Amino acid sequence: MQANLGIRARITAPVRAGGSPATVVAAFSRRKAVRSGILWGYIFGVAIASSEISYVKLYKTAAQRSALAATFGTSKATSALFGPATQLQTVSGFTAFKISMALMILGAIWGLLTSTRLLRGEEDAGRWDLLLCGQTTRRGATAQVIASLGAGLVALWAVTAIIAVASGLDSSVGIGVGPSLYFSLAMVATAAMFLAVGAVTSQLAATRRQAASFAATFLGASYGVRLIADAGVGLHGLVWASPLGWVEEVQPLTSPQPLALLPIAAFTAVLAVVAVRFAGARDAGASIVADRDHGEAHLKLLYGPSGLAIRSMRATVIGWWVAIGLSAFLYGLIAKSAGATVTGSVKGVLSKLGSTGTGADAVLGACFLIEAILIGFIAAGQVTAARTEESEGMLDHFVVRPVSRSGWLGGRLIVALVVLVPSGVAAGVFGWLGAATEHTGLSFTSLLGAGINLVPPAIVILGIGVLTFGLRPRATSIVTYAVLGWSLLIVIVGGFGTVSHWVLDTSVFHHMASAPGMPANWTANGIMTAVGVTAALVGVLAFKRRDLQGR
Amino acid sequence: MADPPLRTEGLTKRFGNVVALDHLDLEVGKGEVVGYLGPNGAGKTTTIRLLLGLCRPSDGRAEIFGFDCQHQPVETHRRLAFVAGEANLWPSLTGAETLALLGRVHGGLDEAYRDELIERFDLDPTKKVRAYSKGNRQKVILIAALMVRPDLLVLDEPTSGLDPLMEQTFRHCVHEARDRGQTVFLSSHIMSEVEALCDRVGILRDGRLVEMGTLAEMRHLSALSVEARFDGAVPDLSAVPGVSAVQADGSAVRCQVRGSIEPLVKILAAAGVTELLSREPSLEELFLAQYGGDGHAG
Repeated sequence: MQANLGIRARITAPVRAGGSPATVVAAFSRRKAVRSGILWGYIFGVAIASSEISYVKLYKTAAQRSALAATFGTSKATSALFGPATQLQTVSGFTAFKISMALMILGAIWGLLTSTRLLRGEEDAGRWDLLLCGQTTRRGATAQVIASLGAGLVALWAVTAIIAVASGLDSSVGIGVGPSLYFSLAMVATAAMFLAVGAVTSQLAATRRQAASFAATFLGASYGVRLIADAGVGLHGLVWASPLGWVEEVQPLTSPQPLALLPIAAFTAVLAVVAVRFAGARDAGASIVADRDHGEAHLKLLYGPSGLAIRSMRATVIGWWVAIGLSAFLYGLIAKSAGATVTGSVKGVLSKLGSTGTGADAVLGACFLIEAILIGFIAAGQVTAARTEESEGMLDHFVVRPVSRSGWLGGRLIVALVVLVPSGVAAGVFGWLGAATEHTGLSFTSLLGAGINLVPPAIVILGIGVLTFGLRPRATSIVTYAVLGWSLLIVIVGGFGTVSHWVLDTSVFHHMASAPGMPANWTANGIMTAVGVTAALVGVLAFKRRDLQGR
Repeated sequence: MADPPLRTEGLTKRFGNVVALDHLDLEVGKGEVVGYLGPNGAGKTTTIRLLLGLCRPSDGRAEIFGFDCQHQPVETHRRLAFVAGEANLWPSLTGAETLALLGRVHGGLDEAYRDELIERFDLDPTKKVRAYSKGNRQKVILIAALMVRPDLLVLDEPTSGLDPLMEQTFRHCVHEARDRGQTVFLSSHIMSEVEALCDRVGILRDGRLVEMGTLAEMRHLSALSVEARFDGAVPDLSAVPGVSAVQADGSAVRCQVRGSIEPLVKILAAAGVTELLSREPSLEELFLAQYGGDGHAG
């Protein structure tokens, strides 16, 4: 007789039969990819619709639209930052100019995070081995995940397109179904390419973090090359050396060039094939880029949880600092020539972005918004790293030893602040170096102040992340990145259109003065810092009082 | 009188409507090795997580050396070391780096003993954690716990993934720890391990402690297994006082006896028994008796 072990079990959902055992990996991954695609498609669609509607409301007369086109169309600064501005006297041209670059970058980030999560992330967690025990091979399983990523991409495009088409059909907007579908396709093209990039880096790297870092570095390089190509310094041919440049050349809504979709499709397909071949060429759990299994003990930083945190994240953080320093240097280089084009309504638009100065300082004020966003990503990464340490069970090793929970989390917060402040300093110092190289005339102290001015919004993001970590740990990542994504969206949309101040106030970047285009608002910065620190402290208290939670 | 290494009073944990641990009263004395048994989901790991302060009790309290586990976790953790059944470590650190980190965090590291343990457990400390097998990762957290010579070792399925040789090494280490006066609280599914190591055993069922005592005490309360073989016919034992579970097989019979064995011996002798084997129940049989048959604790 079978023993009754007295275990209480409750079946909460029926187990559904069906599906082929040979495609179970695809089914397993598809649900996650499609769900994520739908969510981000909503964000993309809302961004497009919001841009179209705000243009119609803001620029009502032909004269206003012509003035906008005349000034933006010649601005090297905005061209470098957001891509070429053409046909700004139309809703289509304005929308393509205003929203494309933000969606391209967001799409790339979504792509690389999703594919590295579903490929190398599953391997890191040990679930990949279980899947490989089924009726599949390493290549087959990788191909199935890539197919499911394709399904996620289709979901992203479909939701984006539905909202874009609905918005375009509004009589005041007047964009047809075909152009809206084509524009939506162009907007998810970077997502497609970076899904494939992430699939390849998942084979190259030994860990998910490393895979995401490789892909992010490639994204940074692509943006940098495109920026130089569009900076009006006679190097426009470089646009073909950057995947972001290819999307730019698709020219949706203005003068469609469907042939430019060819390199995008070819790049994506080739990388997908390479990823599958690499997966077959390596052992499960191993990486193409040789990873050393043995090593000398380096004990310098291993004095406790904070030291370990510094050691674990130093490569990633240095990568961020290099990206911030380089981009700030580039912004400094172009600030003088770009600033010379700042007149009329461009000045007005930069002013809506918060940068009220004239010339180079106004350009740098707007450019530094991108640095603030990068520093916001660093802050979000710090919080999600802390949550990962808990969910993966590594935190247990500390808190079952004489380490208090508040001590552990407080240490992580101090490390995060130690990382964020130099990030702002790097932006200021390298921005000044670039500007000084071109004899722009901006002082070191003003740019250093402008760099430090970028830190308070990141502290708010950090604080909200820690608060979520304390109260609802499983929602930490989604809430933290949602705050960052929302703030980015609102500040971009708000910079170009009419948005209620109530909505604008929900963006952390809206409260940051666009220094050096205008003086840093240290009162607002103090309030933001206080809000962030208070939220973090409440998060620490909540963390002390809750159960530790796994995934 | 010194505070006991481990004491719980009415310790209870609920997850929503599910009672994972139900009013646990438990005390472990200094130098004792106590086994903690129960099937999956019985509440063993929940008990340990409450003792470690990783989750909050719904009711009751737990103390380690007199310190409240919930409100004085740092003080309790200075006196104990914990080994989990699943070794989730930092993949980019080597074994040596992991041991150095955990030793520094705990304090009281005995470096010579650490090196001895590395040798006894046959661990390559230069390897990165991500390159270790499951068993080798388990060795790392075992060494990390033992090397600081804590007053209390809390072990949750500590030999998960270890080969039999390493399991033997582990048993020697626990014996040595007990000989030094350290206390051990061991949750395990391996009955032979618990039988070989533990002075007392507690059995948990549905979050309740249904049995607690030494093996001798538990055996005394349980049935004796008897096997007999005869030249002639097997006698009818069903009416013999204290005898149950009679199974006749040709010229042999098996049964269980509770209480005095004298009435059974008399019947067997009268029937011309040629072979007689009696055996005390193993811990595994005691454990299964708690959960077997009718599904009610015995």
